[in-house]
Amino acid sequence: MSYGERSDAHDDHHGWHTPHNSWAPILLAFGSSIFLMWFAKVFTQAWSIEEDAWEYAVNTGELWGVFAGLGVFMAGVVIFWRQDWGHDGSFEAKAEGAPFKHIDLRKVAVWMFLMSEMIVFSTLFTTYIRYRTGIVNCEELFASGLFEAGQACWLPASYFIAEGGVHQEHANAALGFMPDTLIPGAINTFALIVSSYTVVMALKTAHNKELSDAERSRKVGVYLLCTMILASMFLMFKLIEWFVGFEIGDHEHPFFYAPSLLSDGFSIHASEYTYCAEWDHHLDACVAGQSAVFDVRMAASTFYVTTGTHGVHVLGGVVALIYMTIKAFRGGYTPRNAVSIEYFGLYWHFVDLVWVLVFPAFYLF
Amino acid sequence: MSHNKILGFDAYNLNFAVLMILTAVEVVAVALTFSMKGVVSMDTVVFILISVGVVKLLGIAGIFMHLWGEEDSKIMTMTALFPVFFIIVMILFIGLTHPGATDTLPSWCRPGFYYGS
Repeated sequence: MSYGERSDAHDDHHGWHTPHNSWAPILLAFGSSIFLMWFAKVFTQAWSIEEDAWEYAVNTGELWGVFAGLGVFMAGVVIFWRQDWGHDGSFEAKAEGAPFKHIDLRKVAVWMFLMSEMIVFSTLFTTYIRYRTGIVNCEELFASGLFEAGQACWLPASYFIAEGGVHQEHANAALGFMPDTLIPGAINTFALIVSSYTVVMALKTAHNKELSDAERSRKVGVYLLCTMILASMFLMFKLIEWFVGFEIGDHEHPFFYAPSLLSDGFSIHASEYTYCAEWDHHLDACVAGQSAVFDVRMAASTFYVTTGTHGVHVLGGVVALIYMTIKAFRGGYTPRNAVSIEYFGLYWHFVDLVWVLVFPAFYLF
Repeated sequence: MSHNKILGFDAYNLNFAVLMILTAVEVVAVALTFSMKGVVSMDTVVFILISVGVVKLLGIAGIFMHLWGEEDSKIMTMTALFPVFFIIVMILFIGLTHPGATDTLPSWCRPGFYYGS
């Protein structure tokens, strides 16, 4: 299917096919809604009175909804791909009424989408502020001495990352002034900013009429490929930070040592986290009387849901970038047809912008 | 882009350089609180993080997202700012409500509630 293709046989008085209305956006929204609703039904937790503990369950009977949502979503992706692949930018529908008169409809639509995204991330930040200010800090609670075993309190992710938790009383061997655990997040922050730059450079290059078609296509493709690699690196570091951890060098005296957050006990199931106020590095154990058992699930849930939601957006960007990179190398983006890069760039900068808030709020503070 | 230059520099390049430097400032500020515990106060770090964050937001939204210097920048900026009203309402009236609110949430809004249970 061609989208906006020039045709002498089938024109609409101007020599161009006007674009068909697309089902893709509504299918993408509908599919993702079904997926998210059923995802929450599949992975559940409930308090067991008999066991006196939380029980976590995977309700496989509800999995059909997850796959149905994915199916509808993929149908939207396929429709979008078929319509966009042949689009040469010859027709870009403009808004006719106020307040967006003469502005590209797709641009307005992208901004509407970003408005909804702002609300999504604002709810997550509001939740963070609500709980962060409403729940007593574990370190302060321990210092007060007025606590009960298993009491719920807030131990921020930055305790494990920027402060290094019990592992990182000393700075990185090479840098000398910062903990190893902060480095993956810091690298990711720089990676996202660089990727924002490569996207705008792809747009700028696509607009450049002085380049030959072949050279322009190659350069735009390379910029988009760099963006994709940086985004993939972001996700890889994210997963390592959550699940795997880093250790480089001698095990006894590692050059770089950043255990994963899960191995440190910072998980959504951490109802009995052993907090240590003072670590004895000679004995490699907590100083007697300086530990307490706390419930830190609220802090962990807030951290993983917020950074996970952001990560899903990065993943969505990677999928889009795979498609766009292939299209770019095939000459799909020209000075007349570069708006798709601009609209993807709006989304990508928004993802970067959210990280600008997430990084200090969750990783540093 | 209608605004290609700022102070004689390419707008994208200049913005990119500023963003990189500001991010380095953020990381170094936090690293200093780690390595100089008791010397650099957390209040100072929070002030630095918020200040730097605001400048970075303006740089990304204004230059990379073209909300500054283009024909449609004004209406697009107003569009982008529309949700801010709701965000302010959420943060002021939910995020910063009384501290006991987290302990008095209804059962359907607390961990452990499952529609089948």
